[in-house]
Amino acid sequence: MLHDITFTVNGDRYVVAVRSHHTLLQVLREDLGITSPKRGCENGECGACTVLMDGLPVNSCMVLAPEADGAVIETAEGLSKDGILHPLQQAFIDHNAVQCGFCTPGMLMSSKALLDRTPHPSEDEIRYALVGNLCRCTGYVRIVEAVMDVAERE
Amino acid sequence: MQPFDYYRPESFEEAFELLSQPRKTAVAIAGGTDVIPQTRDGIRRPDLVVDIKGLPGMRDLAMTSMAPCCGAGPDECLYVGAAVRINEIARSSIVQDHWPILADAAASIGNEQIRNRATIGGNICTASPAADSAPALYVLDASVLIKGPRGEDRCLPIAQFFTGPKRNALKHAEIVAGLLIPGSPAGTLSFHEKLSRRKAGDLSIVSVAVMAFPSANSTTWRLALGAVGPTPVRAPEAEAILARGYDAEAVDLAAASAYGCCSPIGDIRSSLDYRQAMVVNLARKAIRAVVAQLPQA
Repeated sequence: MLHDITFTVNGDRYVVAVRSHHTLLQVLREDLGITSPKRGCENGECGACTVLMDGLPVNSCMVLAPEADGAVIETAEGLSKDGILHPLQQAFIDHNAVQCGFCTPGMLMSSKALLDRTPHPSEDEIRYALVGNLCRCTGYVRIVEAVMDVAERE
Repeated sequence: MQPFDYYRPESFEEAFELLSQPRKTAVAIAGGTDVIPQTRDGIRRPDLVVDIKGLPGMRDLAMTSMAPCCGAGPDECLYVGAAVRINEIARSSIVQDHWPILADAAASIGNEQIRNRATIGGNICTASPAADSAPALYVLDASVLIKGPRGEDRCLPIAQFFTGPKRNALKHAEIVAGLLIPGSPAGTLSFHEKLSRRKAGDLSIVSVAVMAFPSANSTTWRLALGAVGPTPVRAPEAEAILARGYDAEAVDLAAASAYGCCSPIGDIRSSLDYRQAMVVNLARKAIRAVVAQLPQA
């Protein structure tokens, strides 16, 4: 069954025909070519597919495509503006918080949602916000340091 | 994922019609955090997926004068629509102020992404013995509001809604519309704790909710446990022991007796021996945490 949905991704409006049983992740990656959200566990454990939906981090592998009708979606592609990296992206580079990079887009989006809601979180709040994002290079310390760095700025 | 047709009805009538189509397997979906992975894994093979989160009242979180079907029946209850997200409950100031145990239980579920999609109705409908909202809902004496295809609305105490592992009391095509949480008496104290392999983002090995409030000449206690039997359980014997007094000896006795209500299994998260030991430890810890806030006996 096909559904015509209208939604916004990184500020651009899209009208797409989607199948009932496809996920938001599939539409982003396969129909729109937005590939920063990754297909990981498909079970809500790993967070590699994390995008912001109406400002909140969600697992895009567990959102049905027709459910995204009317939604405002943000992905890592939308973080930099006019060629200037988002402070979180720059901090991830400065702190060497990226190893293989598979978890990075999800980490960035979960961190952005946290800072949007709580501009100066504690380390515990950062760790709590990132529970749903797994890094198998075991780079959590540097990731948390990068988010702390941005959180401690004005 | 195997193909299915997705519908988003706007009225309960439309939803009942979709859920009762002959020769079709239909599943109601709200947050989808259980149904979508189960469908992907082939555990469910729905022809129709009926998205019920847009139905009237399903997203409401507000005080109501509706009488709960069980419990003491104070004049004011909290109405929680079945499709209210777990994080909306965890972050609601009204829940944090008046039902902090429910906010704590909600905050212990899954992870941030899951809590932004998963709903309270879905958590109880999945009816996992380890549903992390359940022990809190049990001690709060929550009621479940159910709507049926022939207009036969009914209301069940939460403990009657859970009927077995992943089994609930819903009949064919029925929908959970919401929950009613009775107001807590003045001076209510509570504590929720969950033990899992990771500090967060994992299912419970054991979870416990304890609530105490002053009544006529004593203190009324309620204690519920999750992940230690086919359904969550209340521990009436422990509650009765604590009502007679809560000195150190009584607390130990109550915690030990809580074990009598459980019939745990060993599984991937915990051996049977460990779970048995942790029931008593966690119950004792939770009771002590409440006792520490009470005037000493």
